[in-house]
Amino acid sequence: MADGITRVAVPETAAKGEIIEIKALASHPMDNGFMFRDNGTRIPRWIIHRFEVDYNDELIFAADWHVAISANPYISFHTIATESGTINFRWFDDNGDIYTESAKITVV
Amino acid sequence: MRALLISIFGMCMLATAAAADETAPANLANACAGCHGTDGKSPGQIPMIAGMAAADLAAELRQFKNDQKAATVMNRIAKGYTEAEIDAIANYFGGM
Amino acid sequence: MARTSSSGSSRRDVLKLAGLATAAGFGVRPAFSQSPGHVVVVGGGFGGATAAKYLRRAGVDVTLIETNATFATCPFSNTVLGGINEIDAITHGYDGLAAHGVQVVPDTVTGINAANKSVSLQGGTAVSYDRLILSPGIDFKWGEIEGYDEAAAEVMPHAWKAGAQTELLRRQLIAMDDGGVVAIAAPGNPFRCPPGPYERASLIAHYLKTHKPASKVLILDSKDSFSKQGLFQAGWAELYGDMIEWVPFSSGGNVARVDPATMTVYTDFDTHVVNVANIIPAQRSNRLVDTADLANGGDWCPINQLTFESTVQPGIHILGDASIAGAMPKSGFSANAQAKVCAAAIAALLRGDEPPSPSFINTCYSLVGPDYGISVAAVYRLNAEGAIAGVEGAGGVSPGDANAEFRKMEAEYARGWYASITSDMFG
Ligand SMILES: Cc1cc2nc3c(=O)[nH]c(=O)nc-3n(C[C@H](O)[C@H](O)[C@H](O)COP(=O)(O)OP(=O)(O)OC[C@H]3O[C@@H](n4cnc5c(N)ncnc54)[C@H](O)[C@@H]3O)c2cc1C
Ligand code: HEC
Repeated sequence: MADGITRVAVPETAAKGEIIEIKALASHPMDNGFMFRDNGTRIPRWIIHRFEVDYNDELIFAADWHVAISANPYISFHTIATESGTINFRWFDDNGDIYTESAKITVV
Repeated sequence: MRALLISIFGMCMLATAAAADETAPANLANACAGCHGTDGKSPGQIPMIAGMAAADLAAELRQFKNDQKAATVMNRIAKGYTEAEIDAIANYFGGM
Repeated sequence: MARTSSSGSSRRDVLKLAGLATAAGFGVRPAFSQSPGHVVVVGGGFGGATAAKYLRRAGVDVTLIETNATFATCPFSNTVLGGINEIDAITHGYDGLAAHGVQVVPDTVTGINAANKSVSLQGGTAVSYDRLILSPGIDFKWGEIEGYDEAAAEVMPHAWKAGAQTELLRRQLIAMDDGGVVAIAAPGNPFRCPPGPYERASLIAHYLKTHKPASKVLILDSKDSFSKQGLFQAGWAELYGDMIEWVPFSSGGNVARVDPATMTVYTDFDTHVVNVANIIPAQRSNRLVDTADLANGGDWCPINQLTFESTVQPGIHILGDASIAGAMPKSGFSANAQAKVCAAAIAALLRGDEPPSPSFINTCYSLVGPDYGISVAAVYRLNAEGAIAGVEGAGGVSPGDANAEFRKMEAEYARGWYASITSDMFG
């Protein structure tokens, strides 16, 4: 990762059944493979091509990204707070690296 | 139909003629007033250009445009004008 | 004579006479017999004041309607925050315009009647026009940052319209203890004055460095890059060390919510409790334009780039921040340049002539410190599609490797620019 930054925001607590907003951000150049350096050599494609979110090990959100996504992809989506537990985030990049974050949520 | 075509054609000609016009000297020169003051009468730290002779003004602008004279900003600005526009601006201020 | 001499009659009487004269279609106007028509200009700021003056120079009969009796400029308002100038130094009156024969009416326009070519005023009267110019500036999109509304702005000022808000923020900076944090929330594009938040951070740091050196300026940004970024960041390092911290969008800089009661600023991912919060919200054209639907459902008003006439309503011209003027940034310099082109176009149209082809310049000077100026400049004209576009090969930013002498000269010229443009508007 460019400078190794992934950030997530999940409410610490929520009422059961409440609609909550989840945000995730990755610092990544998302090089599309079509750009050239000053010396004329091509900058190779290097993007995050998939993003996944689990809520207590159940996949609740996934996206396949292509070269048109701009640098530092930022995602926000809504889900329903069902039970207390852990939300896990995974970003998969072209180099085979997987970046992970996790956040706890208490549902009352 | 023929008459209509001709008149549409005529209108297009008019439109292009207007767009291809030389930029009006007053419009070129008034843009300078943002820094040099109305009619080039600067009240502050930017040099006064009111009262300069047209030939001197044109010569200065060409020097800025060709980086023959050091400046903080005028070289970046003078590069935006054609030779003909430089003369038009110089004549506008010089003729005041 | 009703328009030029107000002796013996109240402002309202004068207006009624003016309205009557136009409504009755008097062929010869009493005050300006050479005038090809009557233009009403709404807003006496960068676009409006300039347009009024240059229309008078072209012999056109002008009424300028402006809410405030004096105008405090946003340009150089950051020097007030930095303790370099007092607000009086950036406040201007309308006597100069009146001396040019502009009928200056201190009132607020509440509605536009495009069908019968008149505007209605808060004071209860209506004024008719042959052509109307609006240069009313911006309004804020309250609520886009959760918790930020007009009441919150009294605690966390935007200071993005100069005057009372500038003075409020200045007082807060003076009252703050050494070691405090000043947060500046910078909006996403497009907005009024792209380098403005960063000049502000600079001049606040200038004040803190001399008076409260343990304090910090924290810029929370909704963008990943900004105008003259390289020059600003080099200047910050040179003048202020690490006093200014910039948090870009991609490091979680976007401000999502504020709580004025606890002086808390929430970004998407972090919480900052600060001592002074300058929240610059997202912007749109002044809501006055909605009374004639001139923004066409969007935030800004589409215009013909040759004449600045609305593409929605004929006879209404829109200048400055409120308009979509091709590649030109929303700056005072742009509004001033546009106003002169628009005035020439209107004078020509009223006389039945072709509007002359336009040319514009914009230059935004910024002070990184009192003796450290930087600039970005461009020359514009219409491209083949009829849109305002930058002339290639011209313009650009100050050199990155300039010496201290060069930066000092640009700071001097920034002050010179301010003197010149305000005299071009009000002198
Ligand atoms: C901090 C800061 C620094 C800046 N620095 C620079 C700089 O260095 N250089 C630069 O070029 N630009 C700068 N700008 C940008 C500049 O201030 C604006 O781009 C400029 O003011 C736009 O001009 P305008 O005519 O569109 O609007 P304004 O100048 O805002 O004028 C609008 C006027 O209309 C009046 N008005 C509004 N509605 C009504 C109504 N209904 N009836 C009657 N009157 C009404 C208002 O009272 C106001 O006087 C800066 C802005 C800020 C915030
Ligand atoms: C952004 C502000 C700005 C604008 C706009 C501007 N000038 Fe200048 N002008 C300057 C400054 C500053 C100088 C001093 C040289 C320098 O450092 O660039 C100058 C110098 C000059 C000089 C030399 C004067 C002398 O006595 O040495 C001339 C001539 C001139 N400008 C003409 C123009 C013309 C014509 C225009 C419009 C096309 C124009 N300027 C637009 C800022 C400006």
